[in-house]
Amino acid sequence: MQKINRNVVLALLSLTSLVFLLFQLCYYKFYLSQKNGAAFSKVRGSQSGQDSTRWHVVRKFLGLISSHNIPVYLIDPLILGLVDKDIEQIRSSPDGPSLECKYFCAPRDFTTFALLDKTWKHEVGLFRTAEKMGFQWLKIINKDPRLDGMDDLSGMEIPLHYIFKLASHAIHLVVFYERSGNFLWHGPLRLRQHMDRKFVPFRKLHFGRYPGAYEKPELLLVSIDDLKVQIPKNPSSFLEEMSHSRFLECRYREARAFFQLYPDDASLDAVEFRKKAKSLLHLAALTLNNLGVKFWLSSGTCLGWYRQCNVIPHSKDVDLGIFIRDYKADIIPAFQKAGLPLKHKFGKVEDSLELSFQGEDDVKLDIFFFYEEDDHIWNGGTQAKSGKKFKYLFPKFTLCWTEFVELKVHVPCETLQYVEANYGPEWKVPVKTWDWKSSPSNVQDNGVWPVDEWDDVIQIY
Amino acid sequence: MDEWKPNPAVKPHKKRSWYLAWKYKLMNQRALRKLCQTGAVLFLLVTVIVNIKLILDTRRAAYEEEEESAQDYDDEMLNVEVPRHPVNNKKVLDVEVYSSRSKVYVAVDGTTVLEDEAREQGRGIHVIVLNQATGHVMAKRVFDTYSPHEDEAMVLFLNMVARGRILIFTIKDEGSFHLKETAKNVLKSLGSQVAPFLSWRDMWTFVGKKGGEVYGEKHAKSPALSTWGDPVLLKTEVHLTSVEDAECHWPDTELNRRRKRFCSKVEGYGSVCSCKDPTPIEFNPDPLKDNKVFDVPVAVIAGNRPNYLYRMLRSLLSAQGVNPQMITVFIDGYYEEPMDVVELFGLSGIQHTPISIKNARVSQHYKASLTATFNLFPDAKFAVVLEEDLDISVDFFSFLSQSIHLLEEDESLYCISAWNDQGYEHTAEDPSLLYRVETMPGLGWVLRKSLYKDELEPKWPTPEKLWDWDMWMRMPEQRKGRECIIPDISRSYHFGIVGLNMNGYFHEAYFKKHKFNTVPNVQLKNVESLRKDAYETEIHRLLGEAEVLDHSKNPCEDSFVPDTEGRVYVMFIRMEQEADFTTWTQLAKCLHIWDLDVRGNHKGLWRLFRKKNHFLVVGVPASPYSSKKPPSVTPIYMEPPAKEEGAVAVPAAAAAEQT
Repeated sequence: MQKINRNVVLALLSLTSLVFLLFQLCYYKFYLSQKNGAAFSKVRGSQSGQDSTRWHVVRKFLGLISSHNIPVYLIDPLILGLVDKDIEQIRSSPDGPSLECKYFCAPRDFTTFALLDKTWKHEVGLFRTAEKMGFQWLKIINKDPRLDGMDDLSGMEIPLHYIFKLASHAIHLVVFYERSGNFLWHGPLRLRQHMDRKFVPFRKLHFGRYPGAYEKPELLLVSIDDLKVQIPKNPSSFLEEMSHSRFLECRYREARAFFQLYPDDASLDAVEFRKKAKSLLHLAALTLNNLGVKFWLSSGTCLGWYRQCNVIPHSKDVDLGIFIRDYKADIIPAFQKAGLPLKHKFGKVEDSLELSFQGEDDVKLDIFFFYEEDDHIWNGGTQAKSGKKFKYLFPKFTLCWTEFVELKVHVPCETLQYVEANYGPEWKVPVKTWDWKSSPSNVQDNGVWPVDEWDDVIQIY
Repeated sequence: MDEWKPNPAVKPHKKRSWYLAWKYKLMNQRALRKLCQTGAVLFLLVTVIVNIKLILDTRRAAYEEEEESAQDYDDEMLNVEVPRHPVNNKKVLDVEVYSSRSKVYVAVDGTTVLEDEAREQGRGIHVIVLNQATGHVMAKRVFDTYSPHEDEAMVLFLNMVARGRILIFTIKDEGSFHLKETAKNVLKSLGSQVAPFLSWRDMWTFVGKKGGEVYGEKHAKSPALSTWGDPVLLKTEVHLTSVEDAECHWPDTELNRRRKRFCSKVEGYGSVCSCKDPTPIEFNPDPLKDNKVFDVPVAVIAGNRPNYLYRMLRSLLSAQGVNPQMITVFIDGYYEEPMDVVELFGLSGIQHTPISIKNARVSQHYKASLTATFNLFPDAKFAVVLEEDLDISVDFFSFLSQSIHLLEEDESLYCISAWNDQGYEHTAEDPSLLYRVETMPGLGWVLRKSLYKDELEPKWPTPEKLWDWDMWMRMPEQRKGRECIIPDISRSYHFGIVGLNMNGYFHEAYFKKHKFNTVPNVQLKNVESLRKDAYETEIHRLLGEAEVLDHSKNPCEDSFVPDTEGRVYVMFIRMEQEADFTTWTQLAKCLHIWDLDVRGNHKGLWRLFRKKNHFLVVGVPASPYSSKKPPSVTPIYMEPPAKEEGAVAVPAAAAAEQT
């Protein structure tokens, strides 16, 4: 009897195990497909390639937005990377049917599209249709930065990102806004408290960690994997642009606090100087951008941006920085052609190069060249009458975009360290008398130019 | 799991005999039995492993997700959106209403929704409208029925309130002096017993439902002419209805959802909230062919006059060629109701914290609005600037589309304005005619971005300067001799009666009779001749063909201009130097046109219409056109009247300001 019982017990146990195991298998499959459809959809889609969930979701999404006449374009770095390899072929046969699903089936969690804000009307209908099609969607809104710089304006919050989720795939729609300075801006993706943090793995998104600045792209309508979609005309340069697109907003609130403490100079002279400095900066930016030389706001101009979001009226010149590796011999002729004669040239390409151009009415454009060392970056100065050399040290920095006097320009991302290196911890206090040889807190004596080199390294016009 | 498949035989069966036979068989096959047992144990083991794996996987995935959505993407602001109105399941509202000589207040469920104890203010009947389902305040008005005509406004308002709303009335100081029979009857029809007998300095409170029951009424009679009635305090309860009963059942569309939101919040907008046949809130006017101003942003400058804004936006959105996406309404202050109006029409609105006071506040609001407009539309070269108390002509955008290229090409232009200061019913005639004028009329105008960014914005009057922005813009330092283009017949109409520098008398005298174009698609005829030099040629041609009027007659008399039509006449007035407007001002006065300062002149020349004839006035000898004066004609001189008190004194500031 004992043995029989054991058998019965064992059999019963096995049976319950089987049922339990089957249940778990089902659950596991279901859970996996929700989390990451890869394993699941591969099985079904492998024959045609286009059966894949991702492709289907993209196709549905494109159908959705085209039914509402909303022009989006593809900015997904993964797909654009793949597309870029075959760009010639894709360009030459825009309508060719594709044999396999090469791009939109590539494994990934998201497909990213861009939308220009001004090209659509914020129809609520879009979202109702999306819901009917089975999409779940999430909208991320925030303050409008174009009004942030203004005293006490509160507009409606603007949509910065949309995420449309269907089955195991999600579409990330980044909304781009036009900003003063003729560029496009997208906002950061920040979740508010009540939002569903698990809606999608936000961390894997390619856009949204920081705000970004982009040129207005030229678009190309292509057909890839049998889907018609707009892409940037030159995917590789878009991807390159994307890699350093980080944007810094000016610190408008701090600037307002600064002006509370030190009221702005509204005299006619100040207005005039600002106007001239602005047009000089516009001219310099145009000239350097045409040459493809990367530059950033340096010294007083950078301080003005960081401290008061404006040109410092008593600064009397415009200062730019350029890495010496970006130096081009064309710089001087290009500025001369733009109507800015060379005023002086100190140093040489190998050491302490500094150019100064004469703008309109005594407003000077100073260009400092920066030399990179292992643990710091420096630029040089030269005193014309004595041939003395100076060295200004900065901690290492990278470049970010910002908007300044209606211009998209670079500033050091680590602006505070940069400004503090230059102006010391008291940079918040305006100083009217400034001696470039002694006032900066990062200045070092750097010897004297050999007399026989003077003709070369100290040129004054 | 594969281990399992070879052992289907393990399944137990219910048939007892079969089972026993099978058991017996098994007992005799020890080896097989052992195998089955091992198999079962193995299978159990597999189950355990799969279980553990599942648990681990699930936990890891959950952990990853938590990681993924970590601080990096958190909004540092931690804005917690608090629902605007807490859900209120209460069915009864306690209402308290107080009426007295110097103070009125209304409290709903202990929350004060009206309190007015300011001196010299808020006299008359205060009216509050509550939503019958939620108890929210939908409108608050005060009608100074001590003064004439205010009772008419009250009747108008009460008629616009939807049936079923809860109305609360209370009198402060005096509310019966000009409360006429009609108004009293309306109050009586609402259920008031006292209203028909309200008299001098009575105190009165009343709560009732429009078209329904009365919740309470209290009254205190004034014992004598010189004293007020005793303060009255009415405490009553109001039963709320269900939300469904309080709402209309419009078809569920995007537009109607906006309408519903609006109509459940505010009252006093009439047919837009009518259940049966609501007036449209989308207009779809005909598009303009070759519309050159489709991409020009439109800034609507607004304050807290939501009914004005409502009227203004209706006319703006009905104008041909309007592009609602380019419209931004800038509200000076954090007022809810103007924002509700903006949202009703699906437009975008921006609120501005008021800076400074009076005229400086308006001026700062203008600056912020203009800067924001060019920030929001960085590609725009122009901006259209409108105010909340303007009607917009149906061909407003057509007019701008035809003329905007001039502003782009002609450096000597300051603005294009839709308003002709001198374009009254009796002095404007030709909708296709444009002028150049040295003054900036405002009231619907186009601003060039470069002018704003390079010249005006950096120098804009600071908040401590109590200047009018438009007066400042008219100053020679800003205008620098540049001119504006205006139409003969205005494309905007100034209907505002309440305003910073506006009152009923002033409006009646200077704005009511202004001509306003209602003809669609007017083809402008002399656009190219408005360029700087071409305009001079045009004026000389005009003066050449003009008939000189009889200068011995009185120019104020109607007979001064012959009873003809379509002719061109010229008269010459004395104008010693450029700034001598003595005679002009007198002439403007007797012609009943704008005479508070000089408007509409171009090099000492004014152009208007009299009896449907083009009528030119040249100031001699200051005007360069003086050479056209025949030697025999003596310019007319009109003396200003000796200093005497005018019938009604217009404040100096009001004279200059039109907003």
